[in-house]
Amino acid sequence: MLLGLPVQAAQQGTVVRQAPVYADASLAAQRVGSIDAGVRVTLFERKGGWQEIYSEEKAITGWVRVYQVREGDFGASAVSENKEDSRGFLAGLATFSRKASGFFSQDSGVTSSSTATIGVRGLSESEIRSAQADFDELRKMQGYASNKKRARGFASAGSLKAGKVPHFSGSK
Amino acid sequence: MSRMQLPLLLVIALALVATFPVRAFDLNNLVKDLDEASKKLDQNMDSLNKMRGKVSTREEIEIGGNLIAGLLGAAPLVDDAELQRYVNDVGFWVAAQSKRSELPWRFGVIDSQGINAFAAPGGYVVVTLGLYQLLENEAQLAGVLAHEIAHVVRKHHLKALQQTMKREFWSELSVKTVDDKQDRENLRKLIGSGLQLYTTGLDRKYEFDADMRGVVLAARAGYDPYAFLDVLTTIDSINPEAAELTVLMNTHPPTGERLETLASKMDGRLDSYASGEDNADRFRQAAARH
Repeated sequence: MLLGLPVQAAQQGTVVRQAPVYADASLAAQRVGSIDAGVRVTLFERKGGWQEIYSEEKAITGWVRVYQVREGDFGASAVSENKEDSRGFLAGLATFSRKASGFFSQDSGVTSSSTATIGVRGLSESEIRSAQADFDELRKMQGYASNKKRARGFASAGSLKAGKVPHFSGSK
Repeated sequence: MSRMQLPLLLVIALALVATFPVRAFDLNNLVKDLDEASKKLDQNMDSLNKMRGKVSTREEIEIGGNLIAGLLGAAPLVDDAELQRYVNDVGFWVAAQSKRSELPWRFGVIDSQGINAFAAPGGYVVVTLGLYQLLENEAQLAGVLAHEIAHVVRKHHLKALQQTMKREFWSELSVKTVDDKQDRENLRKLIGSGLQLYTTGLDRKYEFDADMRGVVLAARAGYDPYAFLDVLTTIDSINPEAAELTVLMNTHPPTGERLETLASKMDGRLDSYASGEDNADRFRQAAARH
């Protein structure tokens, strides 16, 4: 174990919505500035709903809300690298972002017809409305159900501990 | 048996003792009488609830099963038992933290590239493969499922259907006896309205409600509740005009607005749960084939 050494691999990120920057991870902390969407930042520690960042452009270090920044570079170069990664799955948000801009945006050079072919198979509005119930599939779904005992084992294998957290309204 | 019925049953028991003093000493008979009285009471409660437009849990499950069968007709389950069981484990564990943990919770991943998730009354939740593939870890999956679980717990779809269909409809509805032609017709109408609801969406206030309750359920289950904000952030970064998002965007408030609202509610309340698990390794293993 590394004692007391702050080992933090700094990562690059991008501010995705205009973000006030605070001196600490709290709305009560002093506001030290503001960063516009699109600005690249270095990401440090994450704490609760807060992310510590450094902006070279603005020369500020401070905390923004996690949803205001994203890991990865969202610059103009993102569009062309839209190949699926080897797992056919998304390695991370940055990968996804590149893929998303390639797959999903209308003006990315991917024609809309190819978007449609990879598109919403089976679940367009009209297909949902006119769907014929499939009770065989429903039975199949029932067959995969978990139960109390199984779920407890699953939780404990994943170090998940149940806790009491009230709803924001105070109700159960 | 509900708490409300207990004093009533005592009254009935006393009445039985008073009416049949001789039989009152025969414990077996007394239990039988009580049983029958209780059954009658249940039936009466059922019809009373019907008149008030309420639906029993059994009917709720029946309606939900039909709605999900409809969705499965449009997009079947992904053919991967391991993945389906994994999603059921996560979902069941999260649902166990809700006040309706006793529902027969069922979860599934359906084979559609559309990005969306659906809930149906009675404990049914499905996530599209398109949404599943956007997720990075188990905490994010838990967050998505928790949002849908909250819809079920709060009976949002039932409430919406009750607003759509007239009160008389509900007092006539009997999903138990699907042999009857009229009942079958009623059920068919109901499922039609339900499927329609999946394309028009719930009242937007129900979506904010499910966002806020979902993150709390995820925190209760030991997950990092902020993972759900990550999911919304991911969705927010996709072109909202994309075909994959059409239904989601037509049925939910703007993602940015959801993020702002949810984050400000969570502020200071859930910070201490942000160290919750994300179980990214386990998630990757379950998702590896997709």
